[in-house]
Amino acid sequence: MTEYWPWWLGGLGLGAVVVGFRLLVGRPLGVSGSWAKVAFWRREAAAAREAAAMADNRAAAQDAFLAETLAEFGEDAVAQLGMEAPAAEKPAPAAAREAVPPAAHLVFLLSIFAGALLMAVVAGDFSPRLELSDLHTALAAGSPWQVWFSLFMGGLMVGVGTQMAGGCTSGHGLSGCAMFAPTSLLATAAFFASAVAVSLVLELLYRAGGGA
Amino acid sequence: MKQYLKYAAMGLAMGAVLQRIGFADYDEVHRMFIFSDLRLLFTFVLAVAFSATVFFALRLLRGMAYEPKPYHPGVVPGSITFGFGWAICGACPAIVFVQLGEGKIAALATLAGILLGVRLYRVLHARYLQWDTGSCGI
Repeated sequence: MTEYWPWWLGGLGLGAVVVGFRLLVGRPLGVSGSWAKVAFWRREAAAAREAAAMADNRAAAQDAFLAETLAEFGEDAVAQLGMEAPAAEKPAPAAAREAVPPAAHLVFLLSIFAGALLMAVVAGDFSPRLELSDLHTALAAGSPWQVWFSLFMGGLMVGVGTQMAGGCTSGHGLSGCAMFAPTSLLATAAFFASAVAVSLVLELLYRAGGGA
Repeated sequence: MKQYLKYAAMGLAMGAVLQRIGFADYDEVHRMFIFSDLRLLFTFVLAVAFSATVFFALRLLRGMAYEPKPYHPGVVPGSITFGFGWAICGACPAIVFVQLGEGKIAALATLAGILLGVRLYRVLHARYLQWDTGSCGI
């Protein structure tokens, strides 16, 4: 196994990924967002199709909105809208971006896997094994069943937690903190603090049990 | 098609960089969280500092949009839950793919957990929590 990158090289590399993603894709990097899109594939695919159709045909979209408004609020509301019609002629705001189909998000997630696989093979870090690491097995106290169960439960908390918080290490931790977004700074402080607390407890239990 | 290529290129770069940093190595991550080895912490802080500098420059020079995530009641409890899980499985949503790329087959359990968790949260949110997250869906 080769040595990992020193902090300055890793930091610059990771920072370049964050900046590169923002510039190339045009959105802030956020992996848990991609997870959500992939996990709710059917709904997201339908939404992306509708958004694409609307972008293709703004006139049809406007007619559809008008028909809905008529059905919901009646003639008066439409007449009121008529006075504001020129406003609707403005070009789409810059914030309205091309819709991203869930398949693109899946490609992103699978590419993370592929990139890591390639790099691991090149660096000589690739070694198939059924456990995560010796230390993890020791901390999880044991049998393969316990190791896999702890990973599943940990993953469950990661899934629920990141969706609840609206971001993860990449979305809040990297992109959000790099924009000095208050919500992201708070989220990052919270998940680091809880990870530190849990890790310290695991470590203490391990040492109390006679581990190194 | 172009969109797919962009996502693929960034995914490959991210996976490769994360592998070389050692962010997918449970031992390294655990040592960061118990403060016995600060290499990963410095890596993370430098990555944030570097991107913050570039983003700040782009905002000043090119008028890049400032897009902070909105605050809502789920931010803190969600992050605490996430940190709890991260300490146990050594993976955040990107890292699980890096672990699988390194041949850590056990990360399949983490993958299944995250997928279930992501879907489970949507149900919890729609049925019980229902606060405004500032975006459509979640």
